Amino acid sequence: MTDRRQDIVLGGVFAAIGISAAVIAAGYPGASGVYPMALGCVVAALGLLVLGRAVLSGPGKPRILIDHGPRVAITLGTAAAYLGLVPVLGFYLASALLVVLLPPALGFRRPVFVLVNAAVFVGIVWLVFSIVLEKPLPTPFWSAY
Amino acid sequence: MKHLALTIAAVALATPAFADYPERAIEVTIPAPAGGGTDTSARKLATLLEEELGASIAILNVAGGGGSVGVTQFMMQKPTGYSLLATWNSPITTVPQVQQTAYQPDSFTPIASTSETAYTLCVKPDFPADTGEEFLAELAANPAKYTYGNDGIGGTMQLAAERIFQSREIDAIAIPFGGAGETLQNFLGGHIDIYGGSISPVLPYTENGEAKCLIVTSAAPVDALPQAAGLESLGLGAEETLLWRMVLGPAGLDPAIVDTLAAALEKTVNDPAYVEFLATKGETPNVVTGDALADRLQGEYDALSKVAKALGLNQ
Amino acid sequence: MDLIFDILGSVLAVGPVTAMIGASILGVFIGALPGLNPVMAIALLLPLTYSMQPLVALGMVAGIYNGSMYGGAIPAILLRIPGTPAAIATTYDGFPMAQRGEAARALKIACWSSAIGGVASAIALMTIGPILARATLLFGPAEYFWIAMFGMASIGVMVGSDAVKGLMAAALGLLLGTVGLDQLSGTPRFTFGEIWLLSGLDLIVILVGLYALPPVIALAEAADIKGLSASDLKLEAAKLPWSDIRAFMPTWLRSALIGISVGILPGAGGNIAAFLSYNAAKSASSDPDSFGKGNPQGVAAAECGNNADNAASMIPALTLGIPGNVIAALVLGALLIHGLQPGPQLFHQNPGLVGGFMVQMLLTSLLILAVGGAAATRVFAQVQRLPGVMLVPMILVLMAVGVYVINGRVIDLWVMFAAGIAGYVLEKVNVPLAPIVLGLILGPMAEQSVRRALLISRGDPTELLTRPLSAALALATLALILWPIVRAWRAQKA
Repeated sequence: MTDRRQDIVLGGVFAAIGISAAVIAAGYPGASGVYPMALGCVVAALGLLVLGRAVLSGPGKPRILIDHGPRVAITLGTAAAYLGLVPVLGFYLASALLVVLLPPALGFRRPVFVLVNAAVFVGIVWLVFSIVLEKPLPTPFWSAY
Repeated sequence: MKHLALTIAAVALATPAFADYPERAIEVTIPAPAGGGTDTSARKLATLLEEELGASIAILNVAGGGGSVGVTQFMMQKPTGYSLLATWNSPITTVPQVQQTAYQPDSFTPIASTSETAYTLCVKPDFPADTGEEFLAELAANPAKYTYGNDGIGGTMQLAAERIFQSREIDAIAIPFGGAGETLQNFLGGHIDIYGGSISPVLPYTENGEAKCLIVTSAAPVDALPQAAGLESLGLGAEETLLWRMVLGPAGLDPAIVDTLAAALEKTVNDPAYVEFLATKGETPNVVTGDALADRLQGEYDALSKVAKALGLNQ
Repeated sequence: MDLIFDILGSVLAVGPVTAMIGASILGVFIGALPGLNPVMAIALLLPLTYSMQPLVALGMVAGIYNGSMYGGAIPAILLRIPGTPAAIATTYDGFPMAQRGEAARALKIACWSSAIGGVASAIALMTIGPILARATLLFGPAEYFWIAMFGMASIGVMVGSDAVKGLMAAALGLLLGTVGLDQLSGTPRFTFGEIWLLSGLDLIVILVGLYALPPVIALAEAADIKGLSASDLKLEAAKLPWSDIRAFMPTWLRSALIGISVGILPGAGGNIAAFLSYNAAKSASSDPDSFGKGNPQGVAAAECGNNADNAASMIPALTLGIPGNVIAALVLGALLIHGLQPGPQLFHQNPGLVGGFMVQMLLTSLLILAVGGAAATRVFAQVQRLPGVMLVPMILVLMAVGVYVINGRVIDLWVMFAAGIAGYVLEKVNVPLAPIVLGLILGPMAEQSVRRALLISRGDPTELLTRPLSAALALATLALILWPIVRAWRAQKA
């Protein structure tokens, strides 16, 4: 995608955010609505400026948005799955899975290293948060608590 | 690592819920920022309670929305006895009047109240009044002249002051701040005329003569503030509003656990170390448990709802 | 004189010394791990010290506070991930230096700058603190409004190559800052019926996502499976010669003054101090364009500024009983629990204790040199020896645990994730992130102050300009905006 097209989308998104914020804020009573409404208008105006500037500019140059698509997809997908699994499997199990599975998914082929590292790392986190600080972290769904 | 996690899970599974309560760490949610009045009171109490119960206590501060954010989050907890709420009265009895909250005063299992204190209204030494009665007369004679700082719009402090003002037809301008510290800063700097807030922060300034506190919002006067009139002496005893603290559990908490906790709280709150600590903050121990506590919450809720309606703050 | 010996005697006892050293090491680690922050660490650890003598508790606070402000610079330099919000400005020049192979030098500069900022601040706390504290009372809502404006004006230096996009980012940050319950009217804004949004967007949650996720994705994209070898780290080569120290002197002096001034005002904070110091160093430089490309002065300014905020932020707390930030509030809470009454008489009634804490703030600043320079930096530089692909999930886990324990809710994890993806895309399309953060920090302060000022003046806006102090601050803001323009014009003429 060229920088021109990117800026058209970017400006459009900001304009949309600004306009919807201004519309929502118009419903707030008195002084509490004036400020966010004004801000919404400013965001929208600047968004439209970026959009308009891009439309009027030349054909544009390519600007790389993502250096390596598959790896970004793997990382973000795994990270999203991890966050989704934290309340289900509990924090420690989900974290252990992430630390063990993500490196091979990114092409790392030294399983022993990964496993040892995962054990040490999750162990340290467990020591710090559950033993020293006694912070309750999400527990597995099958746990009573 | 998986093994370890599974072991923990297995241990957790094997434990019956209420056998020898408490047998692991209890998490106490405080719906206020770390370091504030409610937080310090609860943390000090927690250290004593840890010894009494023989279990450690982890504190979770969830501030925001005048306390409603932390209370709402706490409401989702299961009634296992391992999650408790240490709060002051405002989020339970005042905030539901002015915000649309998912809870009401009866959405919890009342365990015990712990301590109470009054709010106070203080002015600079050169203010043309030296008693509570003169103070109210000065305010009544000068509508919309004086500004008073409070802990936030629709908070218990503001309602406490407005209850007094309404019954004397006083019009003073409320300036909401983020907390008593901020109010004090603006009061000392002369940006507002009247300090409105809890006693503890302003206490040192009454001792060195930079502030004179003329009214407390309790019916009886407060020992720490000899110049301040209690509401009874002003004929406003019915308009008493206190700042008080309590420990609540999620709805449906096992009565056996409630009894254990109430007994432990009764003992630790009256521990000389805690009483002395409360005294330095201008607070007094006050333990009310069970149904009496539920009645107290509901009674205060009903009384404040009238004030909120009159102010046009209610939802 | 006796008092000084008493204080030194009690501070240098075994308990407080152990607490200071232990806490400084811990503080560096807490600062260095994205997601963990000093506020959280002190809130969690302070209760453990209630049964011990007060100077142990205060020594621990001092160590964690000072240590973590330096610690935040370590991942900022090595990985472009600020360990604490105050280390954002450190990434601008610290990371480019690391990419040039000067990581060890950047760390050394950060270490020295942090220590010097901390020492200067502690000296201010011990000497002019009480006088300055009184002066801060002159700052009312109108003045706070102008302080927020002054901070916003410093965005000028951060907007990057595209001013329109920079301003757009700032406006977005201000807009995000309005989310939550409006403190002055009680109206919930942009909460969409979600109770957790009433408290607004949590700054740390947004920052962790915005600043830590994009570098993590970059690490994954690079898919490095080797890690740096020991010789690549160039740890041994890093020395800070006297000529360098002399060159940094003006920057350190300027940043220390800025940090102390920001720190002493209740409500402002280390992150603002770092931004303003960085801005000042850039404006004063003869080659402002070299900033952001690995100019060591940028690292020195940011790190000195954020540490100079620390001890100074204790001034209003210890002299007036007014906590300027959460850490100061926690210290006051701990004093109360130990049976002391914070307020103007605190020092007179407990000179040993308050003086002791001041000395501890000084000593822990010096400890940064030992702990940070020798030990911790080496440990953390080893992180770079781990293959990048293994760091990716580890940082993700630390981000998650750090964000979760702030409020104990799962939804914050998704807020962080969303902020991170937004940050990744925005960076790629040349929208700078710093203005968003600055808007988020300063927006609520600006809005609430101006509305409070208008309530007090019964709606008369001239109040914002006619008070001597507010007028002076307004002029300073104007000067800050005009300075780059004047400079550019002069350069053109020359």
